[in-house]
Amino acid sequence: MLDLSAVRHQINSMVADHAEGGTAAFDARVRVAVTELQRWSSDWPALQQQLDRSRSSWMVPRIVSGPLAQGCTAPDRPERLSVAATDGSQIFPDRHEISPCYLLNIGYVLLHYGTDERPLLSSRPSLYWRDDDLYPQWGGRRTAINRDMVGFRRSLLELTELAELAAASQAAGHETVALTDGTLVFWGLEGRPPDFRQASLTALVSSFDLLASRRIPIAGYISRPGSPEVVNALRVGICPVEGGADCDRCPWLGQVPPCASVESVSDAVLFRQILQPGERSALFESGSRVLEDYGVHQIFFFYIHAGDEIGRVEVPRYVAEDEELLQLVHATIIDQAAKGGGYPVSLAEAHERAVVRGPEREGFYRHLEEVFVRNDVGARISRKSLRKRTVGV
Amino acid sequence: MTGSEVTGTRSLESFLDSDTRPLSRSPIPDDQDSGPAAARVGEVVESSTTTLIAEARRLHGAPDFGAFVRIESDGQQLVGVVHNARTQSSEPNRRPMAYGKTEAELRREQPQIFELLRTQFEVLVLGYLEGEAMVHRFPPQPARIHSFVFPCDAAQVRVVTEDPQFLRSLLEAPGVPTDELLLATLRHALEQRQGSTRDYLGVMGSELSRVLRDDYDRLSSLIRRMTTWGRGEAS
Repeated sequence: MLDLSAVRHQINSMVADHAEGGTAAFDARVRVAVTELQRWSSDWPALQQQLDRSRSSWMVPRIVSGPLAQGCTAPDRPERLSVAATDGSQIFPDRHEISPCYLLNIGYVLLHYGTDERPLLSSRPSLYWRDDDLYPQWGGRRTAINRDMVGFRRSLLELTELAELAAASQAAGHETVALTDGTLVFWGLEGRPPDFRQASLTALVSSFDLLASRRIPIAGYISRPGSPEVVNALRVGICPVEGGADCDRCPWLGQVPPCASVESVSDAVLFRQILQPGERSALFESGSRVLEDYGVHQIFFFYIHAGDEIGRVEVPRYVAEDEELLQLVHATIIDQAAKGGGYPVSLAEAHERAVVRGPEREGFYRHLEEVFVRNDVGARISRKSLRKRTVGV
Repeated sequence: MTGSEVTGTRSLESFLDSDTRPLSRSPIPDDQDSGPAAARVGEVVESSTTTLIAEARRLHGAPDFGAFVRIESDGQQLVGVVHNARTQSSEPNRRPMAYGKTEAELRREQPQIFELLRTQFEVLVLGYLEGEAMVHRFPPQPARIHSFVFPCDAAQVRVVTEDPQFLRSLLEAPGVPTDELLLATLRHALEQRQGSTRDYLGVMGSELSRVLRDDYDRLSSLIRRMTTWGRGEAS
């Protein structure tokens, strides 16, 4: 149990700190960031040159278009359009439970606009219990699957299933846009065994291949993004070192470097100052290392004023380089956010389909137990789990 | 272990819920349904001996107030009358909200909301059919959950309403808007009788006078409203 009264003091201190965080010092850094963005706004190729010359320790994007300090207004959504979305949720393997199996639940949404056609709202659970599922062999070693891997497998399934759903929709005669919740950059692949990376990338790349071949745009929508990629580029732009920044040999080591003037400002905070509702920012190419293995499908991103919040939208190269598809994604996300009260309605509905709530998880394990007993399969849950269920005084 | 192959050849049907709910979730049009179940108007979702609740096959698709329905349940043919209908969110933690748009606009621009609503109707059990005859007693077993609900055809309505006993069942039923229900069912009964409506109304009127002889105001109000139909409004 949580003693709320005991934590109250700490909450008060935290809130006080936050209130201070939003004070003059931070506002000043935001102003510097805005000024810097304006400075490079139409001169962005020069900033890109500086990025090319520099060796910074931060992840910086490639600037694809400008002007930087100006938004693009949203085109109108085509009257008839279908939006496909998926989301996933899971029951993690729990070794204290009756079986260490795990479950992935994918929610599917296909909404048809401008027609009276019925939408598709559904979910499909998949149970994983075989040895290969629970003790996969990667890099020559068998290890018990962990939450990380299950989460990763889920994200991948969301994407491959979304590609299938969007392709099926398009094949049924609907012009379709595919939306997924979260990033298209599977940075979780970094540091994984090569065979695991390879298998994941094959699924990933073939999803993009499929969508690209049918010319169906896909976009990942990130709500409340925290990344500072564009601000990182500005930091490089601020660096006065001749020949470009080289963070390993920073002359200000141990002191406050000039680029600290925009420190801790996120891209979302920056673009909140630039974008009007409905507008999107210029286009950038993500500099994430993991994308080196994405083949032709490099991931691009832009920020968008979705009405209430600044969201980040990620698209693969074939969308970024196709003006029509890019506009379609922009229009769709603005329209989806307007319909969903600030967050794309298809993603919200996909989440509702996918989510496995606490009581459902309990129900799942109790049912599992019943079936084990009914079939006389010896099964034991751990003393710890048992103890949690029947707590004496 | 990392995900299935991406084929691009799946059909939209392959994304439906694994245990497809034919009532409200499936985007497959209803007219693809065939067989004897095709005429159903609903499916029983709560059941007791005296009353049951059914989910309408279509949104806003409950039978009219006072309409007679038949439930096929485990060899029994239960008969009842619809006394209440409601449409609400099918998700316990979500409530409908106002959008300020017409239904046609909502269907074009917020199509998902109609999938999250359902119409249910309540049925008062009157008895059951035995062959062609109506038995005005509660059935030995309540309708089974997931039994289908069908509208009674004209002949069945005539059989059910032949014996004025059904009026007594309605008058004795708790928790229903009795007089309104009485009049509505009588109108349905009349609609299925061509020609002889005056005689029929006469029989039902005298039965009501017997049952309600101690409540003159109520009786006269009912009779007054029935007489207006006799002047041709309902026939």
